[in-house]
Amino acid sequence: MYRSSGFDFSNSIRNHSLAEKGLPLPKVTSTGTTIVGCVFKDGIILGADTRATEGPIVADKNCEKIHYISESIRCCGAGTAADTEFVTATISSNMDLHALSTGRKPRVVTAMTLLKQHLFRYQGHVGAALVLGGVDVTGPQLFTIHPHGSTDKLPYVTMGSGSLAAMAIFESSWQPNMTREQALQLVTTAISAGIFNDLGSGSNVDACIITATGTEMLRNFVKPNERVEKERKYTFRRGATAWKSESIRKLIVNEQVTPVAGEAMDVS
Amino acid sequence: MDHIDMDRLKTGEVNLGTSIMAVQFDGGVVVGADSRTTTGSYIANRVTDKLTHVHDRIYCCRSGSAADTQAIADAVYYHCQILTQIHGAPPSVAATAASFAKLCYENKDTLSAGIIVGGWDNEVGPSVYNIPLGGGLFRQPWAIGGSGSTYVYGYCDATYQDGWGRDETVEFVKNTLALAMSRDGSSGGVIRMCVITEEGVERLFVPGNQLPKFWEGKEVLSTPLKKTSENAPAPMLIE
Amino acid sequence: MTSIGTGYDLSASTYSPDGRIFQVRHHITDPHPAQTYAIQVEYANKAVENSGTAIGLRVKDGVVLAVEKFVHSKLLVPGANRRVQTVDRHIGMATAGLLADGRSVSNRARDECANVRNNFREQPTVKYISDRLALYAQMYTLYSSVRPFGISTILAGVDKTGPSLYVVEPSGVCLGYHGAAIGKGRQLAKTELEKLKLSELTTREAAMEAARIIYLVHDDNKEKEFELEMSWVCSETNGLHVPVPADLLAEAERKAKEALENFE
Repeated sequence: MYRSSGFDFSNSIRNHSLAEKGLPLPKVTSTGTTIVGCVFKDGIILGADTRATEGPIVADKNCEKIHYISESIRCCGAGTAADTEFVTATISSNMDLHALSTGRKPRVVTAMTLLKQHLFRYQGHVGAALVLGGVDVTGPQLFTIHPHGSTDKLPYVTMGSGSLAAMAIFESSWQPNMTREQALQLVTTAISAGIFNDLGSGSNVDACIITATGTEMLRNFVKPNERVEKERKYTFRRGATAWKSESIRKLIVNEQVTPVAGEAMDVS
Repeated sequence: MDHIDMDRLKTGEVNLGTSIMAVQFDGGVVVGADSRTTTGSYIANRVTDKLTHVHDRIYCCRSGSAADTQAIADAVYYHCQILTQIHGAPPSVAATAASFAKLCYENKDTLSAGIIVGGWDNEVGPSVYNIPLGGGLFRQPWAIGGSGSTYVYGYCDATYQDGWGRDETVEFVKNTLALAMSRDGSSGGVIRMCVITEEGVERLFVPGNQLPKFWEGKEVLSTPLKKTSENAPAPMLIE
Repeated sequence: MTSIGTGYDLSASTYSPDGRIFQVRHHITDPHPAQTYAIQVEYANKAVENSGTAIGLRVKDGVVLAVEKFVHSKLLVPGANRRVQTVDRHIGMATAGLLADGRSVSNRARDECANVRNNFREQPTVKYISDRLALYAQMYTLYSSVRPFGISTILAGVDKTGPSLYVVEPSGVCLGYHGAAIGKGRQLAKTELEKLKLSELTTREAAMEAARIIYLVHDDNKEKEFELEMSWVCSETNGLHVPVPADLLAEAERKAKEALENFE
């Protein structure tokens, strides 16, 4: 098909003609995810599923949605994968520079403010829905950040298409001052609820435990969807295909190479 | 296109479909709000704090887009710090409200924010300013806002009186918000209030299960019929 | 001043070895670029010193401004070329030095007031406007392309903090006073102001004293004619900056002349 150079306005023309006929615009598919965060006695636990989708197709069965901001601050991302990836990387870099120039350990509110101001500037066009958590001098901190730049500070949070399933778990089972084991169990249950009840979420559970003493990334903490060994083999027996004639051809072509110009480069 | 459709522009936006309020009394101001934040039909936060600190004795109540109002409040908070630095004294509630109004008016095409500012200052004592959607600025003895407010204008008009003290005012705010929250689906949760006086700011909290209750209707269909009195018509016999 | 040919005046803004600041400008059309000429903050002060005296009094219930305005021609309309200007409804300003600079600075002050009213819907305080003008004046001491203002400014008014009086100098210094004097006769005027109990006077009494001081410091031998220009802000004016009423001005002038005769 011939394409002229410059911008292509065919989608715009299509949308106009649809609107004129009174038809609804084509739906934009959003990427599904379950991400959660939860405060416990000694810190924060973040959780995420590992499914990445492109419309109805699972693009990556084991991706990482818990992004690094700093040693004791991490951020789960839902929404447009590229946006969550780049926005967290940018802010991570800025936090490093900030820590270097102030000579202090970075704070979670600083990351939160940088993220919300970035997202607000782009008026929702950077499609990142985030769960930001970490431990700093002021203690454990947990935030959600919506794509338009609004933030919430809560003891337990969920985001993404699986947030409703996960929130149901938190609302019924979360309690203050949980132990590390209790909290990890709760986060795993919440993510599992997303994995099993939300079509946009799936595969494995990632978890990240952040305390004042250190950060522990539990990659693929639970793998409830491992592919099992196939019960049968579907290969054909040798000799299952009959043949009438046989011809063997030589496919390797011999060629003579004659060097044309100068000496070979000295690469020693 | 005839006009810009605001609803379409901001789909997926986090909203503070809200009941907010501020009332001035002799020694101070009471600001109050419900705690519901919604994205469409989902409650994104059921314990939101919509009473936002902008200076020592100045608070604002936010309604409309969460992102917009947070950004505005952050900007004004920063502005107040600059003003304090320049003048060596805290800014007046009037000046703070004016900078809210300026932001809201000059960016009216891109913002959805309805803000009520309340506080205490040295010059005029307690004051309440209402900054509705277009960025106007109105000083009022009491102001209500957000989607829930439409249900309680009549109640406020009928109830409010000059010369109340702190406790009566707190009670008025609490009752008004409870009524608004009970009728407005976008409002709900808990009631948060701040009493701002010269001495300081006191935070008050009413949990969702301790909200003031009003007449909520009673079973009509399944209540057993009252014992019929003697001269009441007797039911017809059916054979 | 040894500003020419010392080797310290060639760059845009330079300190001299004894710590003073020269502001140096190359004359663009000058065929000899080495011949630079210096315009200094100190020279700007000279411009102020040659001008008629202006005084300001901050008293218990208001402020008074008084100016000795030289009348350099009999053809001038009496009362024209005012040196006392209104900057905002409640703030007045008197300058000593180059009259044109005074006009320019008062316009800047009016802009500053308008900005405060636009941004905060509030009356600006005299202190804030003085601080802003000081910042503005200071900017004109930094660059080779501009000269400092050849004026000192007295700002006076009544705002939410009460009666206020400030002086902004060409260097960008801004100071608050009970009584201020700038221009030719400032030394004698200051001595006279110090004798007064300013915080106990009323504005009416202050107006009398102001007129007396201006008549006292006027040097009949050097300058021929002068006009007394006086304005005030007090409760009598409803908090507005206005010229003192004609009858009060006439009475003040009469008393000032009497006092002058007794003084001599």
